[in-house]
Amino acid sequence: MKLLIIEDEVELLAAISSYLSDLGYSCETAKTFKEAEDKISLYGYDLFILDIMLPDGSGLDLMSSIKQFNQQAGIIIVSAKNSLDDKIDGLDLGADDYITKPFQLSELNSRIKAVLRRRNFNGNDEITFNEIKIDTNSYEVFVNGTALNLTKKEYDLLLFFVINKNRVLTKEAIAEHLWSNVNLCENFDFIYTHLNNLRKKIRKVGGENYIKTLYGMGYKFSE
Amino acid sequence: MKFLKRINRQYFWALVILLGLISALGYFVLSFILDRKMSEDIREKEYAIIKEIKLRNNLPNIYPNVETIQISENKLKPKVYKEVKLYDEVDNETEDYLEYASTVEVNGKYYLIKIRHSLVEKEELIAAISIPLSILLLMLFTISFVMTKKLNMTLWKDVENNLKAIEAYSFAVNDELSLKATGIDEFDKLNKTIEDLTDKLKKDYHILKQFTENASHEIQTPVTISLMNLEVALQQELPENAFKQIVKAIGAINRLSALNDSLILLTKIENNQFLSDTVVLLNKVFEERIEILSTLFDEKNLTVKFEQKGNFVFKINRDLADVFVNNLLSNAVKHNVQDGVVDIEIRKDRLRICNTGTPNKLNNDTIFSRFTKENSKSYGLGLAIVKQICDKHGLEIRYTKTEIHCFDIYWRNKSQ
Repeated sequence: MKLLIIEDEVELLAAISSYLSDLGYSCETAKTFKEAEDKISLYGYDLFILDIMLPDGSGLDLMSSIKQFNQQAGIIIVSAKNSLDDKIDGLDLGADDYITKPFQLSELNSRIKAVLRRRNFNGNDEITFNEIKIDTNSYEVFVNGTALNLTKKEYDLLLFFVINKNRVLTKEAIAEHLWSNVNLCENFDFIYTHLNNLRKKIRKVGGENYIKTLYGMGYKFSE
Repeated sequence: MKFLKRINRQYFWALVILLGLISALGYFVLSFILDRKMSEDIREKEYAIIKEIKLRNNLPNIYPNVETIQISENKLKPKVYKEVKLYDEVDNETEDYLEYASTVEVNGKYYLIKIRHSLVEKEELIAAISIPLSILLLMLFTISFVMTKKLNMTLWKDVENNLKAIEAYSFAVNDELSLKATGIDEFDKLNKTIEDLTDKLKKDYHILKQFTENASHEIQTPVTISLMNLEVALQQELPENAFKQIVKAIGAINRLSALNDSLILLTKIENNQFLSDTVVLLNKVFEERIEILSTLFDEKNLTVKFEQKGNFVFKINRDLADVFVNNLLSNAVKHNVQDGVVDIEIRKDRLRICNTGTPNKLNNDTIFSRFTKENSKSYGLGLAIVKQICDKHGLEIRYTKTEIHCFDIYWRNKSQ
């Protein structure tokens, strides 16, 4: 899976790039509008992570060349918060998703996976982790072949965990993912309820509890 | 009262008073002249009568104007003027006369001379002069009054149009304020001053706007970098202490970011950078938000009572409406107690949201101020934002505490 990350902030670029490379993506980077324009026309990519505010132009202006050279590619726009106009423009121009700074890498990963699934690059809509099978097309979850009856939030929570498996997730990151753009009073304890319900439901059908609590402050989905 | 109406009214009364004064003055002057003329006339007649007696020993008698009789008393009486009523055979009615009586001595004999002058003549004369004069004055004043009014209206038309243009002007819409030249020096000078002032304010506004946008962007980038690096650091095998420190740092950075967002939001509302361009049904926004925040209600096991007794409609930016309702609801949850209650009541022109909470009444003076917090888990900006939104949309918000804490929101001018 080949990605082009277009971002003028070097450290941000490095952090995103190294994180996504670790996850197995092949990442290329562009720091300026010009550089991005060249790479878009020269090479093929499956997904673009596009910062709108670039020193030598607006990322929105790159959208047309992306559409011209990489018709099948997904686009995730990155922008500063509250620039609602950018969001609307970006989605109108054909972006698949929109993420605002600051965001966490786990969230970005989840968005990338969702865009790729939607664009059907993997060829299948099933995500499997040991005995757990998630059908992202029908929003169904099976544990050892038994269908689980999950709420929307529990389903989102499980999918987020499985996509970010083996990674430490903070309560904030989970809350931000499940209730994005909702001011949730800076109190994230309510996640606990959803988490426990999810654990119970999986355990009831004989599934293992893969959600580990780390020092009461973070979570990790792993063997 | 409108400027023109006031001017016209004053002008009208001044004219009325002036007209009255001129009429009174005219009457007195005319009357004075006529009276003098009359007594002169009488004296001339008296002189002529005395001459007639002296030369021809003839006593002239023309009733009712002249009467001359010889009297037996040898004594001169003082000359007297008095008004009398006499029957006029010609007109078949009694008329007013001015009677002059004097005793004179001619050639050693005494005579009583009475000369009478009709007063009707004087009144008729005054009328004959003052009526056309009054009509003339009245016409003059009416024409002058109407013309001034017309002229004022045309002159002020431009000023009124300019006023409307200023009222409709908004920095956020970003159009030029162009005022129509009136051709009157003072007004044009005022126009120019307003245009210059607006230009300057507009520049300041844009600088400020740009600053908030830049500040927002510039802060978000380092915040994002910090968050990402901490997130990466968190993935290593870490001792409990280090792990907790990193999670706390992430939490603090998230708070910083949220704080930044809230402050920028407040500034944007203060600067009128949100266009109130959508007609929003508040009931609907509440329904949506209650659904979204249901997790929070469940967490504290709160009972939510949502009564819709009318449709509350207002013009606002759509996102701002979400923030408005979100903050009100969050506030009601945040300061609530376990198994508490949230009561929402919406009427056509007012909204009431109540929640159980601390037994103490909150400080009415500071509750809507920034960074007033009940506990460390909030920023103290939520209600400040709500207040600011109220202020900008003609709404009033009031806090009361009976058994529970209540916030009433209603229209400022339609308030009780």
